[in-house]
Amino acid sequence: MSAEHDAEQKAGRKLAVAVAMLLFTSHRLPGVRGYELRRRLGKNYLKIIDMLNRRLNPIGLRVKIVFEGRGDKEHGQEDFDKARFFITLNEPLTLSDIVAAGWRIDEVAILSATLALLYPRGGRATYGEVMELLEAKFPKWRVESALEKFIRRGYLYKDEDNILHIGWRTYAEIDQRELAKAITELHQQKSYKRS
Amino acid sequence: MNKAGRLRRVQSRKVRLAKEELERIIELCDSIEKSGIDPFSVNIKELLQKLRSILEGSDNLDVIVLDAETLYKISLVIALQHRWLKERASNLFIDAQIVSAKVLAADNKSLAQALARSWRPIVNGEQLTRRMIIEGMEYFLSLPPRGGKAEERNLTSNLTYEEASISYELLQDELLEQRVKELHLELLNEKLGEKGVNYWGFIAKEGEEKKLERAYVLSFLISEGFADLRREPITGELWIIPYREKIERRTPASVAVTIKRGE
Repeated sequence: MSAEHDAEQKAGRKLAVAVAMLLFTSHRLPGVRGYELRRRLGKNYLKIIDMLNRRLNPIGLRVKIVFEGRGDKEHGQEDFDKARFFITLNEPLTLSDIVAAGWRIDEVAILSATLALLYPRGGRATYGEVMELLEAKFPKWRVESALEKFIRRGYLYKDEDNILHIGWRTYAEIDQRELAKAITELHQQKSYKRS
Repeated sequence: MNKAGRLRRVQSRKVRLAKEELERIIELCDSIEKSGIDPFSVNIKELLQKLRSILEGSDNLDVIVLDAETLYKISLVIALQHRWLKERASNLFIDAQIVSAKVLAADNKSLAQALARSWRPIVNGEQLTRRMIIEGMEYFLSLPPRGGKAEERNLTSNLTYEEASISYELLQDELLEQRVKELHLELLNEKLGEKGVNYWGFIAKEGEEKKLERAYVLSFLISEGFADLRREPITGELWIIPYREKIERRTPASVAVTIKRGE
């Protein structure tokens, strides 16, 4: 009984450590690497993360794991060690929540359009190409300032060759499948209305 | 020119042309890899045939090395083609042209809504603790002055930690509120001159050690609207005008005051 109680207490303590590591930024970027969790929580850190996930789900949160190779292959222990762990919302926000959080609708629309343009191009395109497409829809200064902001926040990444890539934050926060589906459905709705 | 010389010239021209051709192919492969354009837009078979003919027609070491590098770059494009096909075959694929058309046709709100549906932001906390502030202050005060003699520098670099800092307890809201009330009462009981109460005289009333603290508390009193601070434009003198009741300001302004030892 006592041993069981001890184990429970130990697991509880580890859970608290995991929450603190995942919630409070200790590096320049949020989240922690798998090997950092392993160092603090021990080799069974994935079990602790799983337990944490089950506790977070009822309050609308989840642990999101972003692997280094973006493929759909099976992940081994080494992949988990190198992966980055974050806590994200479990359900998407409504547009009014996003606006209340300080985002402008046109900025969010620019990010949506940019990602929609990047995904079919293998996650990258020249900055000029993206600008050209977006300029047809938004004022140039607005596009430039929004892209700059999204690059700063990690949603996008621009390399020295002026190529725009999908940034680390997008991999952590945006569901690619869902966005692709939303863009497709959006068009279907429009076509339906016209007919 | 003799026959051998002519042959050498022809040879070096052939080498130069072969190198240029190989560099062009490398550049083409690089641009495909970097820009993310359709990797099937190049004819790999044709490139490999060119590579073969260059290799067969040259025994120059530089050309052979460049040829190997070109082959590596072509293999990268083939890998890209493989990935491209995989993406197209998956259900994630939507044609880039179709997406562009959709983006252009949609209104801003619909585009934003599409992203909102797929957006689950990261939850994380960033905070500055009281301990971090104290540590930062201690570090700042321990820094040696940059250039010039210490005596020539004003205030903080010459003061000790105790002298320069406002007492730690004062950072607590309740105590600060109490000190603001006390200072307000003191200010109201102060003998008013023609222009008000002299700022420097008032803050130095309890001596040099308390000067900074009194100025700090007074700043809250002024910000709250229980007093005004006026600067004489000609002499630069500062005067405090106390009010019994809080006043509303239509055009609030800030005044920066530098406090020096012995002023």
